[in-house]
Amino acid sequence: MLNIAEEAASHGGSSMLVSSGLGKAYGATVALENADITLKKGRVHALVGENGAGKSTLVRILTGAVRPDKGAIYLDGQPYVPHSVLDARRLQVATAFQELSLVSNLTVAQNLLMPRLPRGRLGLASTRLSNQAGAAILEKHGLSRVRPDVQISSLPLADRQRIEIVRAIEYAGKVLVLDEPTASLAETDWLFERIRKATAKGVAVLYISHRLAEVREVCSEATVLRNGRSIASVDLANASDNDIFEMMVGRRAHAERDAARVAPKLAEAAPRLVVDGLAGGALRNVSFELRPGEILGVAALEGQGQRDLFRMLAGLDKPAAGSIALDGRTVSLSNPRKALKSGSGIAYLPEERKVEGILAGLTAATNVALPVMPRVSRLTLISSSAEQKLARETGEKVEFNKRYLNFAISDLSGGNQQKVLIARCLATGAKTLLLFDPTRGVDVGTKQSIYAAIRAFAEEGGSVLFYSSELPEIVQLASRCMAFYGGQIFDSFEGAAINEQDIVAAMVGHRGKTEEVA
Amino acid sequence: MTQEQTPETRFAQQGDSRGSARVSRETISAIAVAILCMILLISARFVSASLGSWAQVETVLVLSSFLVVLSFGQGLVILSGGLDLSLPATITLGGILATSIVGSGNPEAWWLLPAILMVCAATGIVSAVGIVWLNVPPFIMTMAMSIIITSGLLGYTMGTPRGAAPEAAVALMKERLLGMPAPVIFLIVFVILGWLFQSRSIFGRYLYAVGTNVEASRIAGVPVNLARILPYAVSAACGGFVGIMLVGYSNGATLRMGDSYLLPSIAAVVIGGSSILGGRGTFLGTVGGAILLTTLGTIISALGLEFGLRTIIEGSIVLVALLLLREELFQRLRSMLR
Repeated sequence: MLNIAEEAASHGGSSMLVSSGLGKAYGATVALENADITLKKGRVHALVGENGAGKSTLVRILTGAVRPDKGAIYLDGQPYVPHSVLDARRLQVATAFQELSLVSNLTVAQNLLMPRLPRGRLGLASTRLSNQAGAAILEKHGLSRVRPDVQISSLPLADRQRIEIVRAIEYAGKVLVLDEPTASLAETDWLFERIRKATAKGVAVLYISHRLAEVREVCSEATVLRNGRSIASVDLANASDNDIFEMMVGRRAHAERDAARVAPKLAEAAPRLVVDGLAGGALRNVSFELRPGEILGVAALEGQGQRDLFRMLAGLDKPAAGSIALDGRTVSLSNPRKALKSGSGIAYLPEERKVEGILAGLTAATNVALPVMPRVSRLTLISSSAEQKLARETGEKVEFNKRYLNFAISDLSGGNQQKVLIARCLATGAKTLLLFDPTRGVDVGTKQSIYAAIRAFAEEGGSVLFYSSELPEIVQLASRCMAFYGGQIFDSFEGAAINEQDIVAAMVGHRGKTEEVA
Repeated sequence: MTQEQTPETRFAQQGDSRGSARVSRETISAIAVAILCMILLISARFVSASLGSWAQVETVLVLSSFLVVLSFGQGLVILSGGLDLSLPATITLGGILATSIVGSGNPEAWWLLPAILMVCAATGIVSAVGIVWLNVPPFIMTMAMSIIITSGLLGYTMGTPRGAAPEAAVALMKERLLGMPAPVIFLIVFVILGWLFQSRSIFGRYLYAVGTNVEASRIAGVPVNLARILPYAVSAACGGFVGIMLVGYSNGATLRMGDSYLLPSIAAVVIGGSSILGGRGTFLGTVGGAILLTTLGTIISALGLEFGLRTIIEGSIVLVALLLLREELFQRLRSMLR
């Protein structure tokens, strides 16, 4: 029948959104120089590129948050010039932002329905109707376990991200933009199911992610951005990982995994950090030891107590029970300053870079040197050259470009900000680093620099405890790995025994090997 | 406007110049305020022949010394992310303690003056404790403190402050040194010390950090509580000191001697390019703002304008300054300077 042909034409790859020659500069910084991208109906299109390649800017343009300086966009054949995010949404282009755009002191339902809350009899916004409508939406997207009437701020990060995604899908009649949708999701099944449902309706999806494996699983084609230009659009079936990697960074990837790394010579050394029966928050009775030269990975799904563990060790939260011993002496870590100064020192890299990490208006150099100001000062007056020197030398360990030292850190890309924060941890001189998701949302090149810095730190006798939401990272980096489940250490792996399948099984509470992981 | 900057020309300019041509926002506003000051002083000549002379400049500097000291304290509080509305009260506290304790009976006892500053600082610490540990919003806490102090003083003086100015205060405000009024010398020393403290000292750096983001500062190992409390103590001590200066200048204290200084102390900081939200700004900018406001006040007085009108103009200047000092203007200035 005729309908079938029409169906195929409309769902099977005709263009939904075409943009050409997009450019945007912020003052002197050119964020996007020349980007072309074509999204097809019912297809998932990936946008890949290093941090600072212009992905976020392109997203902001497509979603109406930013107006381009040049170039044109067509949506379904019509010129598309959104004035705001809401305007774009009205034109059925909706986005799930990487920096979530939910209002944290409103409820789930209110966030899903804003700005049009259902009205009751008197024309006032009705809580009951909102909650009903919210519950219906959650149900539809397989999130019926989330209550519509709780405040966003009380949800774990992963659920907040899911709500952000659900809201975008609800409004995306034509184009759905997902900016790093898996940044805080430990598993992707739910998300991919949602994407398949959307594409079945003919929605064009733009999928932005650093995780190539994910991109391959869900996308059919990809556009590669480099230095603000679209380098190429490729059919993913015909491009190898290395091809894409090369287009992204302009060089070939190194071998993936070093041979199983253990540091046997240090295995006999006395443990540096001994955690005994620690509990509090979601954490229940956790004990382990961390030795000099050891890189200990923590693998867990969202909310298994790993955040509480890190925050207690960093001096941010008080343990409800248990003890922490550093260099053989029991310590009470009542604040981060004390953690830094106790024994050989504990430095913490926080989870949320923008909120807990960077000090936005200050320079990159000051951001590095802040914890050790007395070391770059004489008679309490800061020597700017000493500060620069310290920041430059520490920055070199993470391959931080010294050209950026005097930039306000907020002007740097996410990857460079992360390098600065890791340099700060190294600059403290602490012998124990707590790294919570050290490569969250950073590009491939930066990841390698960060891995190298962590390894070098451990080789010099430092101890590292790190959590990662990316399993390959744990496999690649850790000399020992603990899988957390239900607030406890469910299983541990050492050396060659560290592999993704077994860790995944432990993360969802399966003791056996990889048979049935529900 | 400069020549139109199309995206194309900007893209063309884009070499490796991103880092080299960074003029900080603070520097620009400090320069802008200084230039504005000069223009005002020079153009004041057209208003009245007596204005714009060197003697007039001296007068303006002496008058601005009050505001400079005051806005140093206010500037630190604002930098750390707070606001001090108790300054008028601490000015009065300093002034009245100086006349009633030192001035009546033992006018030579200059060593009592630091003790008075300590008392003022203590009131600041009380405010800060409420703000930091009890989470009372700064403007409510300091305003409450202000009312408490003022009421206490009213009771203490029974409505009529007694006593004369301490000799040390009179000497500070009235003597001449090296051919200049002593307050001008004092002003120069104070500005240098204040600048060193805010821009170069470790503690000053902590204030910038705390004003930017308390949580991130805490994680970075900054002594957050100290950095949030101390500015209020300094601010209150500055208020007390200005009280003593005013007593020395006008030979007596009144219960309302501080009232007209609250808005100018905030205005000077904002005009000087600091962010009212904290974390940004320089003391030199604030000094420029204080001198600018004082100059303007002098001209308005010379024109014979009424006090009410003067306050209206001051308020408008703060508003205009806030509007002008937004980010876009600085980006434009930056690209002009390139």
